[in-house]
Amino acid sequence: MSTSTTTAGDRPPAAPRTREATARGRVLPFPITGQEIVLIGVIVVLWVALSLATPAFLTSGSIVPLFVATAPVALIGIGMTVIIITGGIDVSVGSIVMVCSVVVAQQLVASDLSLPVAVLLSVAVGGVLGSVNGVLIAYGRVHAIIITFGTANLFRFLGLQLFGGTTVNGIPDTLAVFGRGEAGRTLGVPHSFLLMVVIAALAWYYLRHTAGGRHLYAIGGDANAARLAGVKVQRRVLLAYVLTGLLTGLAACFVIAQGTATLAPNVGDGMELAAIAAVVIGGTSIMGGRGSVLGTVLGALLVQTVTSGVTQLNWPSQLASLFIGIFILIAVGADLLRQRARRTT
Amino acid sequence: MTDSPATGATDAAPASPSGPGAAQERLSVRGISKRFGAVRAIRNADTTVHVGEVHALVGENGAGKSTLIKILSGAESADTGEITFDGRPVTINGTADAIRLGIATVYQEPQLFPDLTVAENVFTGREITRRGRVDWAAQNAKVVELLELIGLPARYATVPVSELSIAEQQQVSIAKALGGDARVLILDEPSAILTGSEIEVLFGVVRRLAASGVSIIYISHRLDELFEIADRVTVMRDGETVGTWPIGELTVRRIVELMVGGILEDTPAEHAVAEAEPRLVLEGLGAEGEFADVDVAVRPGEIVSLYGLVGSGAAEIAETVYGMRRATAGRILLDGRPIAPRSPREAKKLGIALLPADRKGQGMFSFQSIAFNISAGHLPLLSRLGVWVDRRRERDVAREFIERLSVKTPHERQPVSAMSGGNAQKVVLARQLVERPQVLVLAEPTQGVDVGAKEEIHKIIRSLADEGTAVLIVTSDLAEAIRVSDRLQVVRGGTTTVEYGRGATQSDVLAAAAGALEQEAA
Repeated sequence: MSTSTTTAGDRPPAAPRTREATARGRVLPFPITGQEIVLIGVIVVLWVALSLATPAFLTSGSIVPLFVATAPVALIGIGMTVIIITGGIDVSVGSIVMVCSVVVAQQLVASDLSLPVAVLLSVAVGGVLGSVNGVLIAYGRVHAIIITFGTANLFRFLGLQLFGGTTVNGIPDTLAVFGRGEAGRTLGVPHSFLLMVVIAALAWYYLRHTAGGRHLYAIGGDANAARLAGVKVQRRVLLAYVLTGLLTGLAACFVIAQGTATLAPNVGDGMELAAIAAVVIGGTSIMGGRGSVLGTVLGALLVQTVTSGVTQLNWPSQLASLFIGIFILIAVGADLLRQRARRTT
Repeated sequence: MTDSPATGATDAAPASPSGPGAAQERLSVRGISKRFGAVRAIRNADTTVHVGEVHALVGENGAGKSTLIKILSGAESADTGEITFDGRPVTINGTADAIRLGIATVYQEPQLFPDLTVAENVFTGREITRRGRVDWAAQNAKVVELLELIGLPARYATVPVSELSIAEQQQVSIAKALGGDARVLILDEPSAILTGSEIEVLFGVVRRLAASGVSIIYISHRLDELFEIADRVTVMRDGETVGTWPIGELTVRRIVELMVGGILEDTPAEHAVAEAEPRLVLEGLGAEGEFADVDVAVRPGEIVSLYGLVGSGAAEIAETVYGMRRATAGRILLDGRPIAPRSPREAKKLGIALLPADRKGQGMFSFQSIAFNISAGHLPLLSRLGVWVDRRRERDVAREFIERLSVKTPHERQPVSAMSGGNAQKVVLARQLVERPQVLVLAEPTQGVDVGAKEEIHKIIRSLADEGTAVLIVTSDLAEAIRVSDRLQVVRGGTTTVEYGRGATQSDVLAAAAGALEQEAA
């Protein structure tokens, strides 16, 4: 505001060089937000406290399952982050997990699919269901929560129909590379978690460094202004839901691998809420326009740490719900405070 | 600006002050017209914008200014007429065409993404990429140049827009518009949301841009500022361009006369107000950053209007009286007792009723029936033991008001959403009348209402005043302010300035609101 009287005439000749210097410096806000640092702190404190309380905690026998269990929720959470950044939401992912896993499990039993085919099948089914959401939301102009609430029930019907009132039994261990057992890790690192981290890194790069990724933030900030600026709003939104469907399909493979040889119709129950919880705790604004994949992965890790911790301390399991609820409210409160602080400036 | 004295009649190509070779045509429109359904928004628009000039476009609300700029920016397409750009005839179908020609528009409200940095905002939709990756360094270097041009510090390139002030955000909007190599920049009331010193900054930017050859179409209701910034002025009235004049041949008063035309001054109905102690007094009322030193007194049975243009602070004054905003200075007296309503509910308890300006957002339950809309907020009065709503009484009250206000509707169960603007407004007004308030505050009571209904609403307001209600109207419709009020105060720059009694002329008041007093004093 203060200095604005410099005219084009009296610009010093050295200006271009200093300008370039500024440009080379920080070109984006710092990659890790305050909330993510706080999350890392909370997770570290919890881990230290848990390992003091139960010596078994920080051993590989306990920490590896924690990472394995985090992987599917975090994977869905990555897609959910993209969606929530655009200002949408997808409450149908739990039902998508159910449909994908029953299709794949039945095909594994019936035609003994190979690993790549099973994974591709699951991802493809997830992609199709995600594109149903995406088309309805991008072109139907109805709010995402209404659409996905509707499709959640449709997909659920589809899944229950496929289950046919019973469980799928005798599933071969084709997907064991993603499981909790020895086959599921290399040098002690679980494959599912590793794969999730790789995908998270790609998503992080996409969101942060490509035009398409930045457009998602623009859409969440002000969809109309984005349209006026020439952003292909509908295509981006469609893409976000398809991406989430694909990732959810992969997550369904993790879920089958982590279970027993039997798949019951309650598979996927509540996963949409777990994923949304991870996203919100990770600092992504539910209003859209702000958020990061790193936060979501940390959020998923925190949620899983709380769940495992409560189990290992032999506390009543409902306490996990209490703690996760508190974390969500704190995260949403922090978001609200930020919004309010912005409005008053 | 120009100092060429007004000599003789206005000619087609007046001397422009932008130096030699100016007066070169950039954009010209001929015989443009546009209809929206039965409404002819533009009948005939003709004007020419030169290279490197600041061309002001003025006219009353509804004169067709915004439709014309929508046509130029591609948001609407014209029904007839032709547009030429640099001498070539062009068609503008959609915003993409306008952007390709280099016509950029900055709307009144900043169209920005709060969580993205300034550089990202400027480049949204046309990112510089290298191998699929956004080239941040290249973008930032370009933005730093733009920031320098518009007078913002270079370090703002990487600051999220949400951390900037409104004025700075507007400058960023201009930078964003310029990012696409704009040759015509349309600024739609850029000064409406800015304070004095911020406007100076804006003017600096506009002058610099014009000097670099950008043509600027500048829309404003603050006529006095045109004398600081504009080279030429095109006046619109009733969907037609009246003409274009160099600013040196005009005064605020002259522009107003051109805006309202010869026809003016309808005689308002007589309305007697008994001498009495004022019921509502605003004494040196102020709210940080909104308005200050507001002095108003309304007697029982009196209708007082606060007339002000958008951004003048008049609407905020009304909201403060009704408890939607807190005053930070001065006081509000009701029958001599100081009050400080903290919510509309408290204000209502004190006997102050409000007819909000934003009917759809604040005033109506669109999907509900007329009866529901009238009784909402008064249900205890219409209930047995204050619990069960007495449906029959609700219906009777609704019917009574439908008749009294001549609301055109088949029955009281009709949903408000199915009614015309004027009739819906009568219903919202009826709600306030159920409890016959001591003070009624009306914000833009006839906005978007057709002429016949307008007259009826004015009649209702007058009859309410006759029953002893003190009425305070906040309006930007000058004809209405003059017609309906016993006294009229002009709000300008967040404070009450001149007061007029019955018989004020439209051009006097409009000139005062637009800043003629300052100009004539200077």
